[in-house]
Amino acid sequence: MAHTNAPTGRSIPLAGRGIRLAFVLPALILLGLFFVLPLISVAREAAAENGAAFGRVLRDPVFWQGVKGSLVLGTLAPAFSVVVGFLVALHLSRLSEGVKALALFAISLPLTFSGLVIAYGFILVFGRSGFVTLLLAKLGADPAVVGGFIFSPVGLGLAYSYYLIPRVVLVMLPVLSNFDRSQIAAARSLGAGNITAHLDVLVPQVMPALITAFCLTSAVAIGAYGTALALVGTQVNILPLVLYSKISDAGSDFPAAAAISLLLMGLCCLVVGVAELFRPRRVV
Amino acid sequence: MLATVLYLLFLIAPIALLALGSVGQSWTNTLLPSGLTGEWYAQLAADPSFQRAFLTSLKVVAATCVLNTLIAVPLAYAIHASARRGAKAAARILTLLPIATPELVLGFGFILVFSSDTLPWLGSIWLLIAAHLVVTLPYLINILLADMAHLKLDELERVAATLGAPFSSRFIDIVLPLLRHSLLSGLITVSAISIGEFQISNLIAGFLTRTYPITLLQAFYGATGFACAATIVLLVLAILASAAGALTARAARAG
Amino acid sequence: MSVRFENVSFRYPGGTGGVFDIDLEIATGELLAVIGPSGSGKSTLLKLLSGFAVPDTGRILVDGRDVTRLPPHERALGVVFQSYALFPHMSLWRNVAYPLKVRKIAKKERRARALDALARVGLADFAERAPPSLSGGQQQRVALARALVFSPRALLLDEPLSALDASLRNDLRDEIVRVQRGAGIATLHVTHDQEEALSMGDRVAVMHAGRLVQVAKPRELYDRPLNRTVAAFVGHANLWPGVVEAAGRVGTPLGLLACDTTGFANGAQVTVLARPEAVQPLAELPNASRPNVFYGLVNADRFLGAQRRCDLEVGSGIVRIETTIRTAIHAVSIPPEAIRLLPPDSTASQNPAHTGKPS
Repeated sequence: MAHTNAPTGRSIPLAGRGIRLAFVLPALILLGLFFVLPLISVAREAAAENGAAFGRVLRDPVFWQGVKGSLVLGTLAPAFSVVVGFLVALHLSRLSEGVKALALFAISLPLTFSGLVIAYGFILVFGRSGFVTLLLAKLGADPAVVGGFIFSPVGLGLAYSYYLIPRVVLVMLPVLSNFDRSQIAAARSLGAGNITAHLDVLVPQVMPALITAFCLTSAVAIGAYGTALALVGTQVNILPLVLYSKISDAGSDFPAAAAISLLLMGLCCLVVGVAELFRPRRVV
Repeated sequence: MLATVLYLLFLIAPIALLALGSVGQSWTNTLLPSGLTGEWYAQLAADPSFQRAFLTSLKVVAATCVLNTLIAVPLAYAIHASARRGAKAAARILTLLPIATPELVLGFGFILVFSSDTLPWLGSIWLLIAAHLVVTLPYLINILLADMAHLKLDELERVAATLGAPFSSRFIDIVLPLLRHSLLSGLITVSAISIGEFQISNLIAGFLTRTYPITLLQAFYGATGFACAATIVLLVLAILASAAGALTARAARAG
Repeated sequence: MSVRFENVSFRYPGGTGGVFDIDLEIATGELLAVIGPSGSGKSTLLKLLSGFAVPDTGRILVDGRDVTRLPPHERALGVVFQSYALFPHMSLWRNVAYPLKVRKIAKKERRARALDALARVGLADFAERAPPSLSGGQQQRVALARALVFSPRALLLDEPLSALDASLRNDLRDEIVRVQRGAGIATLHVTHDQEEALSMGDRVAVMHAGRLVQVAKPRELYDRPLNRTVAAFVGHANLWPGVVEAAGRVGTPLGLLACDTTGFANGAQVTVLARPEAVQPLAELPNASRPNVFYGLVNADRFLGAQRRCDLEVGSGIVRIETTIRTAIHAVSIPPEAIRLLPPDSTASQNPAHTGKPS
């Protein structure tokens, strides 16, 4: 039997090729014109003078301060968010369906909030004359120091956590809900303490999801600028704000801005790529 | 437990203070504002630049929703109906776009492309709508694809085919009616994102096509009560949209 | 209203799975059950007939018409899926009336025919209900009514009972056969449950590795399996390796067995089949000379209620027994007429001497 020479059979898709093409076309036009074309322009602008812009950017100390700020922000904010988000998701996963749905609704609210809402809300809570600042001042803390905190990269990270934590919860909750809790009971019956059991049994199994959550939130923290701009103007050195001031300043260096854009996007893609590598299957 | 409670506090505190601030007469260097007033909201309603911005935002949201439906439903169906592995990968990349491409970078690309003489669209409301479409499309696609998988739409379509329904009947009788709930909840999510969108709008909006969030940023440098009131308006819109979305999604699951 | 596969082969792109050289005919009114382990190609057969895959070679005929390349919606075949697949946004009668709707039949007649079809599966009172409010068995009845309401040329059943509770399954088995008989329609029933296949099928086809191994009436399949694969898959079986030592004599791990060796030369390698219920358990070694009597040691004894299943160690082999006697067992007698010799495995699949025609 010459099976190897047999022509390959076809499985019939639900819609014909023509229909599928026609259905994809509007999206292709939209993304081609308003996504691919702009990004190509950025790349061409950066490559303009034979890539001399990259050299200028890499020699610019402001750029490196921005990179440093973004790396701090892109590490601390997601780390804090992952810890809090994990604990919250762990707690939620044990609640009944009704309560879980309600809590999940409240927690995912910030995802649709504009970054500006969060910025002004945090000024009211932690700003120089904010609620917490003045409260701590009564206990003897210097309002200038406490109120300045929110305008530093670390403080910015706290504000970012406001909408990063919900993302962590959304990634972790299905994983934790599907986790078979009898494993913890088994570990404890074998003599492990509660915390040991969780660390030895639960954490290794949900590690891929934790890494995914960390990377996804890190990419968001590295790429966003709205909240930061509203909180501190362009005073803090993080990469998006360095880029923003280059773009918005009149008569500025567009090739250099394009070079920074590519570096920023490359950084985000890299982090998202790592997240994809560890993404637990069947979880968004 | 403790983490959840602290977190909910963290979640609520800024919102609560914004709400208080918006109805407080004066609030300077005190723990909480003093006096009760609706004056800030009245000022906001009478402010011509906020009026214009609000109207612009509504137009952008409405157009984004309509166009998104026309683009996303066919696209999601094509991805779903394709047996190829490549289609699923393309869908995955599409859903990752908004995270992998900072809106700031995309906005800069818009400035480069659409300030040229060949495509001088910068500052027009249509370019703003196009940008909102690109930013929100992945979310809608994601919601539609998840619903298609949840409904086992392919199986239902296969049955319909064996019962004699050609593609057009299947699409009109089975696919569209079944997707109406997730489409609605998806569009509400799209509205919520679109109404609060700042990062790309701020770069490409013209002076006359400023959206609400852009005007809001200006207000932050003015009176606290006024800024609070303007922020609360945006916040309430987002919460209303989220609640409506959650309720539709719930209704869809129920039947 | 007949179905015919003519030399059909289909290979999944990029894999070794598929079906090969399928020749099969289902007569009008006949129910052909296809069984086989998962991955044996039985679902592929259904996919090819319903039109969701196109064969590489061969033809598929329905009522003598070549449908090989026809899209599913033009084939007019009723298909019942494992998952019921009722449209959740339509009431039951609208579900059943859907095939009539796409055939542009007036609404009044549609409704009347749908109600009639629902009545035939005993669900007339549920016409306005929504599918999710029904039990699995009820949903599957509706799916059956929907698949038959437009008088299809053939009926295809894709594991229709496997999602149901065991208690429901028997009822629905009878119901499906009753409705199928009433419609007098050629039916292809794919299942992994051999009991279901034997009890429902007019004939049963056994598939293995993408090929039809044997197609026969249920009793013939059970009593005269063509080879070891079929014997092992259909019912329980004692299968011992053996060598024909002389005419009427086969050497096995149990010892020398007397049986009919017609068709096998001396020295031929064979597989020896004896069904567990045909083996006679004995309390002690009898004095009278009976053939094939062996002394043995019980090494497993399971009480199953109506039946008892014992494993007896005999020589270097095991004899499985199914019996209703409850007393101690120390020996077995294997009647020569209960023994069948089968060709050994290697030659089995290369000589698919199955009968593809309905008998």
